[in-house]
Amino acid sequence: MGLLGPVMIIVWKDVLLELRSRDLIISVVVFGLLVVVVFNFALNNTPGRSEELAPGILWAAFAFAAVLAMNRAFVRDQEQGGLEGLLISPVSRDAIFLGKALTSLIFMLLVEAALLPIYAVMLDFSALSWTLMLTIFLGTLGFAVVGTLFSAMAVQTRSREIMLPVLFFPVLLPVIIAAVEASTRAVGGETFIGLGRWLPLIGVFDALFLVICPWVFAFVVEE
Amino acid sequence: MANTQNLELPGSLGRFPSVKTSLAIITGVMMLVDLYLIFMVAPTDSVLGHVQRVFYFHVPIAIMSFLAFFAVFIFSLMYLGKRTPKWDAIAHASAEVGVVFVTLALLTGIIWARPVWNTWWTWEPRLTTTMILWLIYVAYLMVRSYAPTQSKGAIYAAVVGIVGFIDVPIVYYSVVWWRSIHPSPVVGPFAQSDSLDGTMYLILLYSFITFIFFFIYMVAERMELRSTEEALGRIRFTLRRRGR
Amino acid sequence: MLDFILLSSHLPSSNLPYLFAAFAVSWVVLFGYLFYVNRRQHEMKKEIARLQRVLDDDPSEE
Repeated sequence: MGLLGPVMIIVWKDVLLELRSRDLIISVVVFGLLVVVVFNFALNNTPGRSEELAPGILWAAFAFAAVLAMNRAFVRDQEQGGLEGLLISPVSRDAIFLGKALTSLIFMLLVEAALLPIYAVMLDFSALSWTLMLTIFLGTLGFAVVGTLFSAMAVQTRSREIMLPVLFFPVLLPVIIAAVEASTRAVGGETFIGLGRWLPLIGVFDALFLVICPWVFAFVVEE
Repeated sequence: MANTQNLELPGSLGRFPSVKTSLAIITGVMMLVDLYLIFMVAPTDSVLGHVQRVFYFHVPIAIMSFLAFFAVFIFSLMYLGKRTPKWDAIAHASAEVGVVFVTLALLTGIIWARPVWNTWWTWEPRLTTTMILWLIYVAYLMVRSYAPTQSKGAIYAAVVGIVGFIDVPIVYYSVVWWRSIHPSPVVGPFAQSDSLDGTMYLILLYSFITFIFFFIYMVAERMELRSTEEALGRIRFTLRRRGR
Repeated sequence: MLDFILLSSHLPSSNLPYLFAAFAVSWVVLFGYLFYVNRRQHEMKKEIARLQRVLDDDPSEE
């Protein structure tokens, strides 16, 4: 398919860039740890309550980390003229969008992979559950798809640091709600069916916005 | 140079003064009738008492705020397709008036909640979705003002209008499902221990129609303001070009 | 099914302040917005008229 080639090239280039410099991935991981520490005390996470609060704290941390990561990535990209270069080339807008979104997804998954074991220890839950992994993957996919669209807009605006969160959180609220619910069950040892309708909700959300976001992305980046 | 008094401004509703003024008068009259109906004709709720009358304002305003967002959605789609400035003007005006309506829906909802549920706020689907709608409206207006150029602002706003509108039902259902697991012992704002009496229903319907007129009138005012802004921009541009 | 909690501490008549508050807030917000729009409109029209005069007086008119 004509889409796959350009997408993979974009992803390869961006991911290599991030891994080579490494400063962004380290700062986001550190940020993720800080969020958990703050929430732990803010929510008064005494030992008995950990089971109840852990999934929420986890997803709050992932959501804030995702916003931070995508913001920084797009700002850097704009400074280096990466997006402009791509737009001049004959690559389709869909490929550019999917490439950027996939890069953000991979980046976030790496950050989450680093954070998850630490969270499992700090918040006292078992992360060794493939239903949890699936939930984290699907939730992060939602963050990446919608976040990439909004980052592309936010980075052009006057107040880019605040614009992305303001756009991101209201729209992604269903994913956060569903991810927390699904994670609570996943951590409790539930099988796929036991997760109820929460995972399908995230799945439908992802599928829907995987169609819509690339389409409107073309309007956002047009000259 | 054109006389600015009867400038045929693009994106306007044609000959402004008479349409808008008649709209204002109709709306004013309808509103007075509405108030009469609410306070003199509507029966008193046997459980909640007189405070229930807030309902005749709160419900139409809330429904109107969602309808306004639907209008923003439609006109955003049309603008992205056709790029006619008129569609953007209507979307923008609808969004700004819409945010006024959502704000009011939230405020009246909070004032209604306190005596009826003994709490200012509860995370139930309608209130939460209204809150999210408010946030998306605000994001729409922010992205428009903070965009680098006016035309980009229009496009970004249209995107937010479209994505936001599609998101709202998903938000609603996710909170409905969430609440079925974490119930709170209060019931939705439209449920009463009196089922909706015939008279109450009719007055509610009339109030709703009144607010539709009010909304359209406010949008007309806002659109005229935008036309004036554009005229001001044009005249400033002309002056700058002449070096004054 | 009645899953509604009636708060006996709240007699219907004591809620009139809330009724007043809700309608007052509605009027303030709605008319406040209309007032704001009209005022800006007025200021802009004044500015346009002023600039129009500058334009008309301009000797370098094409």
